[in-house]
Amino acid sequence: MAGIQKKAWALVLSLVLALSLLAACSGNGGNNEASPSPSASPADGQSSEGTTGIDTSKRVELQLYMLGNAPKDMPKVEAQINEWLLEDLNATVKFNYTTWTDWDQKYKLLLSTGQDVDLIYTAEWTQYQQYAKNGAFLALDELLPKAAPALQSFVPQEMWEAVKIDGSIYTVPSTYKEYVTGGFVWREDLRAKYNLPKPVDMDTFEAYLAGIKANEPDMQPVAVGAAVDATLEDALLDFYRQNVGALPYGLLAPYKDPSNMVNYWGSAEHLEDLKRFKSWADNGYFSKNELNETESNQDKIINGKAAALFSDNPTRFNSMLNQMKTLHPDWELGYHPFGLTNGYATPVHPIHNGFAIPKNSKKAERALAFYEKLVTDKRYNQLASYGFEGTNYTVENGYYKPVGDNTTNGFVREASNSWAWRNPSFMIFEESYDGIQAIFDELDKIQVPDIYTGFAEDYTTYQAERAALEQVMKQYLFPLMAGQVDDVEGGLQTFMEKANQAGLEKIQESYKQQWLNYLQEKGIQ
Amino acid sequence: MRKKKGLLHELSKNRILFLMLLPTLLYFLINNYFPMIGIYYAFVQFDFHSSNLFQMDFVGLKNFEFLWKSGKLLELTLNTIGYNIAFIVLVNFLSISVAVLLSEIKGKWFKKITQSVLFLPYFVSFVILSVIVFNLFNYDQGVLNTVLERLGAEPVDLYSKPTAWIFLIIIFFLWKNFGYSMVIYLATITGISDEYYEAAKIDGANIFQRAWYITVPMLKNTFVILLLFALGGILKGQFDLFYQMVGNNGLLFSTTDILDTYVYRSLRVTFDMGMATAAGVYQSIFGFVLIMVVNTIIKKINKEYALF
Repeated sequence: MAGIQKKAWALVLSLVLALSLLAACSGNGGNNEASPSPSASPADGQSSEGTTGIDTSKRVELQLYMLGNAPKDMPKVEAQINEWLLEDLNATVKFNYTTWTDWDQKYKLLLSTGQDVDLIYTAEWTQYQQYAKNGAFLALDELLPKAAPALQSFVPQEMWEAVKIDGSIYTVPSTYKEYVTGGFVWREDLRAKYNLPKPVDMDTFEAYLAGIKANEPDMQPVAVGAAVDATLEDALLDFYRQNVGALPYGLLAPYKDPSNMVNYWGSAEHLEDLKRFKSWADNGYFSKNELNETESNQDKIINGKAAALFSDNPTRFNSMLNQMKTLHPDWELGYHPFGLTNGYATPVHPIHNGFAIPKNSKKAERALAFYEKLVTDKRYNQLASYGFEGTNYTVENGYYKPVGDNTTNGFVREASNSWAWRNPSFMIFEESYDGIQAIFDELDKIQVPDIYTGFAEDYTTYQAERAALEQVMKQYLFPLMAGQVDDVEGGLQTFMEKANQAGLEKIQESYKQQWLNYLQEKGIQ
Repeated sequence: MRKKKGLLHELSKNRILFLMLLPTLLYFLINNYFPMIGIYYAFVQFDFHSSNLFQMDFVGLKNFEFLWKSGKLLELTLNTIGYNIAFIVLVNFLSISVAVLLSEIKGKWFKKITQSVLFLPYFVSFVILSVIVFNLFNYDQGVLNTVLERLGAEPVDLYSKPTAWIFLIIIFFLWKNFGYSMVIYLATITGISDEYYEAAKIDGANIFQRAWYITVPMLKNTFVILLLFALGGILKGQFDLFYQMVGNNGLLFSTTDILDTYVYRSLRVTFDMGMATAAGVYQSIFGFVLIMVVNTIIKKINKEYALF
């Protein structure tokens, strides 16, 4: 009896233990053992009576999700907005923030687990195109005239057209026009001191780097960081080879002739560019251990460890300049937008900032009506972007002025990450923005439309290859770009071999086909 | 037949005890077993159009493809297992030896301070560790190269030497983790009855003999349990450690890439639930097989020590 008793106990115990171990590893490894989403039927626009206006008889709470961190005073702002919103739409709204830690994971889970989300931020860098193509968002075409007619007419028709994926609108684009195109950033005071050329093309940039290396031996001439794909290859392709966008998979399509898409990886040009990076590394323009660098490139400029960036956008350049000025008033930064050399610049694509309604939302009408308020109603818009006037900011001579500093002010300018609901007619800028505006004005003269961002890649047929390629790139191409492989030609050959093994050709072929179809569909050349 | 009757009898006889066990069982059922339905994600093509997991297209093993597509699965699995075996063996060896030594030390102050000093690195985050390591070893301004240069030696670029990282990673893992298991062993040693030691003393055993013949054998139980627990998580790797120390440096991947970092890197670019789950399932199955095998072996050797 005693034996049996012991056995039974042992059995139960061991089962629990063994399987808890198993479950523990699967839970952590997969990171997504979410319970199946409840069979929520997406709210469709037809549910309420009437053809104009929406049914607001029942009170609802809307869930808005934004990336990043909530400012300290967000609850106060939220309370005030809710006061108005209850009156206007019989609804309240909760501003939820994902924080920046693992935001992409959280974003994915918010959309795929059937959670209660009514409004969510979208951008090309949150993969709006892919999510929309996969059906994560609600199509807004029919809902807009009914729930948000003012918003529909406020956003220009060509912007609505531009955010369409497979013929439907899935996000409300921001109408604020800016440029996030690249440009050289350098230390103007040092350039003048050593009489170096102004970086306007590759030769002058390299001459500047050489001059810094010779005169300031303790300074790193150019900050590159661990993401060498973006800071070196993408930047070079963008500027030097005028790529239509940061195309993936080593593809290159010149802006002027986008249908002529060629394989850049493995080509003579690729080899030439890799040799250029290698020479930068050999000359000590950037560190040998750039791939393990943890400090951000911008910080290195601000604290004077590095003397140039290959590429950064005007807004970030301006914020770098301001931060640097507060620490070192006698230093100067110079900026040369690539567009001025290449003769064209693309203003930001409407997809860059937007808000979408997930497919699972049951309060889609009210959500869109609220979003209309947020964008087109000055009270809502300015409160949710700048906080309370008087408490958080004041307006002096038409310029925005924060009250206190970052530590005492609970809501600094756009601390709510209000990028998507920016409304140009309600925006108030800091005085330093004039610097950006000057750059934008210059770029406005040579503006051409962004033809890349509207493209929605469908990679379902080559998902496995895509994931495998990512690894191959990191292992074989990154060291090459960082100039850490002595035999560049041999290294490139190894990379191409491994990449083809992972299925590069299949990916490129399918991508090219999709790209050509897209160009044809949109009527671009 | 008799056996079955016995089990039912057991259930009714000890129903209060089983009732007390119920919350725990429910906890595991809800938190660990129910979510296992999600394993099915590994076999479907995830899409937002189907409102229900079981409506999605079944694709068989397609989601697992990326694991072997790059031809690295074997290397990754071997790396993962190799590192973990090294971790387990060295951590246990070190912590047992230090625990035995510490337990023999009489000076209370010294003992406490040593214990704390060894335990403290456990609380250092891997992110901070990565910064420390980078400042030690980077080529241009690292501590190591600065010292080497002062001594008139050639600077070394460790970040392009994959073999060096096998040792570095193991060393930093030990530095961070062995204090923790040492405390567990120390606690076990405190629990050993003094009578054994006194009896041994009377029999004329010296301090080394007492440690070797009494303390070490008494630790075996703790060791086996810690070992089995560690084995279960073997394919989980030590993601933070590897990811933070190696990061994106492809030069070091051949010796430092483990399943977790590979999966993270591959899936960072896609939002596919199926492939992420597939990777998790592979790790779970491997961990399960491993723990079953080791447990069986232990059972063969000594039944008392087996986990189940």
